[in-house]
Amino acid sequence: MSEDATSPTQPQQDRSRRAILSAGIGMAIVDMQGRWVEVNPAFERMFGHHAADLIGRASAEFVHPEDIDAVRAAFERVLKGETPALDAQHRYLHRTGAIVWAQANVAMMHDDAGLPNYLIVHLRDISSEREAGQALQALNQTLQQRLAEGAAALQAMSQQQEAFAYGVSHDLRAPLRAIDSFAALLDSKARGLLDDAGRDYLARIRAAAARMGELIDALLDLSRAGRSELKFEPVDLSLLAGWAGAELQDAEPGRAAEIDVSPGLVASGDERQLKLMLTQLLDNAWKFSRTRDRVRIEVRGERDGDRLHVRIRDHGAGFDMRYADKLFEPFQRLHGADEGGGNGIGLAIAHRIVERHGGRIHAESEPGQGSTFHLDLPAATPADPEFHPDEPAE
Amino acid sequence: MMHKEILLVEDNPDDVELTRIAFTQAKIANKLVVARDGAEALDYLFARGAFADRDPAHLPSIVLLDLNLPKVDGREVLQAIRGNELTRSLPVVVLTTSVEPFDVEASYALGVNSYIQKPVDFEHFVWAVQQVGLYWLVLNHPRDGDD
Repeated sequence: MSEDATSPTQPQQDRSRRAILSAGIGMAIVDMQGRWVEVNPAFERMFGHHAADLIGRASAEFVHPEDIDAVRAAFERVLKGETPALDAQHRYLHRTGAIVWAQANVAMMHDDAGLPNYLIVHLRDISSEREAGQALQALNQTLQQRLAEGAAALQAMSQQQEAFAYGVSHDLRAPLRAIDSFAALLDSKARGLLDDAGRDYLARIRAAAARMGELIDALLDLSRAGRSELKFEPVDLSLLAGWAGAELQDAEPGRAAEIDVSPGLVASGDERQLKLMLTQLLDNAWKFSRTRDRVRIEVRGERDGDRLHVRIRDHGAGFDMRYADKLFEPFQRLHGADEGGGNGIGLAIAHRIVERHGGRIHAESEPGQGSTFHLDLPAATPADPEFHPDEPAE
Repeated sequence: MMHKEILLVEDNPDDVELTRIAFTQAKIANKLVVARDGAEALDYLFARGAFADRDPAHLPSIVLLDLNLPKVDGREVLQAIRGNELTRSLPVVVLTTSVEPFDVEASYALGVNSYIQKPVDFEHFVWAVQQVGLYWLVLNHPRDGDD
């Protein structure tokens, strides 16, 4: 290595020196032995030293003891030419002993012969940025803790809801069974002692008990629809709709009904829950067709990219679109019991299931013209092992 | 075999009475022994406590078990029955109000023979109890030596 290459005299001749001296951020020139050769006023302010106290001293003296190995290694890499420039954050020491966090940019300069000559060091004081960053981190931690607390509270609430639903299932049913059963026994034992009014009262008691039993079942379904774990798999909605329709026909074998389902409507979702959803929608269509000679329900649909659109159309009573927003709210009924109105929970169950599948449901109707329920659900993807492309959706 | 008892583990007196009526209507003549909680059921089966003078080898033909019971609940009773050499193969039918999937799964995992939800409606309830009696007391052939 020539005398020239290590001489600090050459940079002093550089025009850029003036630029360095007047720069707003800390700048310094370091020789190939790691000593300060020149520092600018901003650098002096950063470290609380006069240039005269710094020149000729080892730059390592001003590095925080815990960071010295890291800084040495970094300089080493630049000196060996392993990296042309360096960008790193380290701690340095102010004259008073205070820690100065600085972002260091180090670049190797070469002489005319292309040999390493000296290093230019930029040091930017980032202490306040780091403080802000730490404050942000602390805030983030607090936030995450709050979130975790919120999630735990939600979990506790969901468990409470579960315990409540369980209690409803068990504790409300048992007295209901007693009411219905002893009314039935009274009816059979004391039938001869009662007049028509008395027997009518017993029949009313039993009918009310039956309705309450159905209501409890529906509430449990609603609660389960909101909390049960969903197992996503390809689900043949055509098959499930046909099944739900057959169940309705079984429950009312004397009713003339035509349920026409297009094949191949395969969604991605939880089979048990989607069956429950279709049962509710078909039950709704069936109930509101009671004024018609025959129940007619069509289930159609098509795949649209990764979505499956399904339409369930009936030709029943229909409803006034002004009340469409109430349709999916629990306990909201648009029809009285004599018009086929149920417990007001069925469509709320269907709605909750569709929402939990990341889908959407809406209905359109006109009084006397029947209703169409539109479903938008995730479609089964061709990658799913049970996807059958040989059964194209209509 | 027809004279062996039916052990009904049930804390609700209404359900006890209804089960009794259902068996009478079904012409099932076996004596109905009622335990009001799980602890009493286990004392009876293992001839302990108030039942210390009973012959523990003389087992009921079937146990009808409610799940939600005071003191020792139905799951624990089931566990104790399956865990004892003497009662290991005793037919146990869960007869409960709950149809929570969790209860059904847990009961089968613990080795229950059947799981029946008690219907709310009286006729259905009688029908269910009759089916249980018909199957376990008439059709089912117990293991040799169990009788």
